[in-house]
Amino acid sequence: MARFSVPTKARLPSSLRVDSSNPAVVKSLNRLSREALISLALNWLEGDAIANAVPYLERKSDEDEIDPDDVYPPCASVQQLYELYVDMQQQKGLKRDVANRILEGDWRHGLSLYQLAMVDFYHLEEHPMSQKWTAYKILPLKPPTKGVEDEVLRVDDKALSVPRFHPSTFLQSLQDQVLPDIKAHYHFHRPKDLPVLLLRIFVIESPYNSSLALSGVAGNGTATNFSSSRTVYLAFPDGSSHIYITKSQANGPATGGESRSLQNLIVQGVPKALSRPRERYTLKPTNLTSRNLETLLDKRGPGRGNAAGGGWSIYASEKNKKSPLDATLPSPPLSRDSSLSDKSRKRLKPLNSDQRAAKRAKLVAQARFGDSGLVNDGKGIERIDVLLEDPFPTPVSAEKLGSGKDKGDAPGEAPSVSARRRTLDAALRQTGDDDDEEASDSKNPSQWRPTVQITFQGNHVFAGIRQLVEAGIIDGERMPGWMTGEDGVTLGIVKHGRIKGNKGSGL
Amino acid sequence: MDPTLDELQVDPLDEEIASLKQQGNTRARKLTAPLHLVPTVAHLRKTLKIECSTILSSPSIQEALISSLNPQPSARSAALRPRKPRRSAERDEQLLLARSKQQEAYNQQCLYRIAASVTAFKVRDPDPSAVDGGHVLGLRFEIMTRGQFLQPYYVMLNRPYPGNAKFLRIHRHTVPPAIPLPGLAARHLPAPKQQIEGGGEGDTLPLPPKQDLERFVKSLRREIMRYHNRLGVSADLRRSLGAHSSHSLMAADGSLPPNTIVDVSIADTEAKQIRLTWADERNGRLAMDDDGRVVKFMVFGAEGRDWETTRQLGESQGRVEDVAKMLEEYAAGRE
Repeated sequence: MARFSVPTKARLPSSLRVDSSNPAVVKSLNRLSREALISLALNWLEGDAIANAVPYLERKSDEDEIDPDDVYPPCASVQQLYELYVDMQQQKGLKRDVANRILEGDWRHGLSLYQLAMVDFYHLEEHPMSQKWTAYKILPLKPPTKGVEDEVLRVDDKALSVPRFHPSTFLQSLQDQVLPDIKAHYHFHRPKDLPVLLLRIFVIESPYNSSLALSGVAGNGTATNFSSSRTVYLAFPDGSSHIYITKSQANGPATGGESRSLQNLIVQGVPKALSRPRERYTLKPTNLTSRNLETLLDKRGPGRGNAAGGGWSIYASEKNKKSPLDATLPSPPLSRDSSLSDKSRKRLKPLNSDQRAAKRAKLVAQARFGDSGLVNDGKGIERIDVLLEDPFPTPVSAEKLGSGKDKGDAPGEAPSVSARRRTLDAALRQTGDDDDEEASDSKNPSQWRPTVQITFQGNHVFAGIRQLVEAGIIDGERMPGWMTGEDGVTLGIVKHGRIKGNKGSGL
Repeated sequence: MDPTLDELQVDPLDEEIASLKQQGNTRARKLTAPLHLVPTVAHLRKTLKIECSTILSSPSIQEALISSLNPQPSARSAALRPRKPRRSAERDEQLLLARSKQQEAYNQQCLYRIAASVTAFKVRDPDPSAVDGGHVLGLRFEIMTRGQFLQPYYVMLNRPYPGNAKFLRIHRHTVPPAIPLPGLAARHLPAPKQQIEGGGEGDTLPLPPKQDLERFVKSLRREIMRYHNRLGVSADLRRSLGAHSSHSLMAADGSLPPNTIVDVSIADTEAKQIRLTWADERNGRLAMDDDGRVVKFMVFGAEGRDWETTRQLGESQGRVEDVAKMLEEYAAGRE
């Protein structure tokens, strides 16, 4: 440990130890399962990791000082300790025993920041839904004009460059953004089954990067500073110009404003860290927040599904791949397989009206949702917030609306309404603004526009809506497009039956 | 033609399929005997499907179908099927005709897709409040790798500007983020209204923006092809280097000589950079430009930049395809 503590701008070293009696350390270890704890300990004792996770071993010089009451006598070598944990892996036992052995035995002198970061990532792998991710898009900025100062840079929408990300360069420039009174520890991790690179940023308010930063007031014994620390995760999906950021988490009690300011700090610092000379980038929120990383990878990831949600997903899915060299006619969805014998065909013939309606509802759901919104696809979104800005349905269209379930879809429906809306649109456009708004209120004073906000919540919101359509509770044909999730947002304002600002464009 | 016609009329769709199955079996047995030594059901079904579409798309069958529906049904054909009511048989024939029409259309579509790498089609947006009555223009970009058609990329365009009915806008697409689609769209398919631009970069001329769908498609197709060629080049590199490291160079104790490449991977979104890893944990980075020329090449050792290797390898700045040979020579040379 360092003898001197000088205020510095450097980052916190990975080998810096936190006292193992710290309640935050105990808590984070206890969140893991027994298997995870053992494999974690084995990981620490293997290869290069040992440099940042030195265990407490028996010292040759002070053999006489061995405490006979020690529950966990120190091992003589790393190899011996490693074998001990391998043995534990084969035996059965309590989780608490392993956690105690780590905290009070083999790492009684404290866990390094590196170890704590790994503990957190193990927890994230065991509980992938424990973090709430918000997706941001990385957009190139126009180069600044020469000689003009204080210019607000605009997004260069004609740029053809795709932002690149290089972890170590990124970290260096991010460290340059950090203020001197804040110290951070960074740790990269690549989860086994997802194509993302995760970065954990552990922030602490201290001018020092030595153990003084973690212990707070010297001699006090309590780690005051450690409890004021924050953890933020960044995720960089492979092959995508997006970035996912989590809300910061405090180890101790914290006020909401504080954590938000750190979040802002990160959101402002990340684009600067991504930028290079002559290439500037900015982050733009994409109104998509989810606990499910797989959903984010599907909607803002490297694949084809970014701008083809809902029913359009049939164009993105590999299932419908059809080479033009194969001239057999593709069978339409839900059709009987042509190889079925005529027996089953006969049996299918007398469909009563209920069955026919059910089949039709299924077909409609298939048409509207395509291959998306299936209960088992693991791409659930937990919460959708939608604000309706459309005028209240006129009596005519309200009559047509069967149940109050999907109140949102009323306006666009009746042909007369949509026709009028189209002319209204035209008028709006002629008055100038590309993004309509405002003017319509004054144009139609007779229309009542209540502020209606709809929130859908559940494990997999769109799968739920799909099931309602299949059950015939929601009329699948009149359901607005945003209810199928094709816009790929979890927060939106609906105008003219469509998510605003997303006038169909998935760009 | 007559026997086929009779057979069709005796027993429409179902029995025709059954006979096709037999026919297909016998024919296939004659042609490809080894395949049918293990006749699985799935295989038979596939054969049936192929035969079915082949027969349906043959012109003589279509003629037969049309002529059997249009003229007055003769008494002879009616007598031949006493079990079935006339109406259901006719309905089946109608179905068959409809299917044959579908097949014909599909054949044409396939033909266009094979011949042209970009094809257009019409889609109806299922959203009831979709713009422009749900009319959507779909563009299909074919991509091929190693002589096979891959899943094409799609771009859907709609016309959301009521004042400017001809102006298109990208509605949905399946193009991966590695392709700068937004930039291309902003260049070739600008929105009809003059955008209010704050910067004084000489955008004062009030010329209305013009959309050029053809140029957009051309440049997009070019970008997609380049991207896939780059992917192909790095895959080839991996294949050619991987083949050597696996056998001939392996030492007796199973370790690899330090100069062999153990890993080749793509390092960035656009697949313009390739990461190379040597057996002795040196790292290399190779950057190429749009046309596959090597622009930059560097090697990192355990202690920072490895200038010596960089110089040795970087002398012949050529195409990425040449790099594989160079690396192989390097691996063999210093053993």
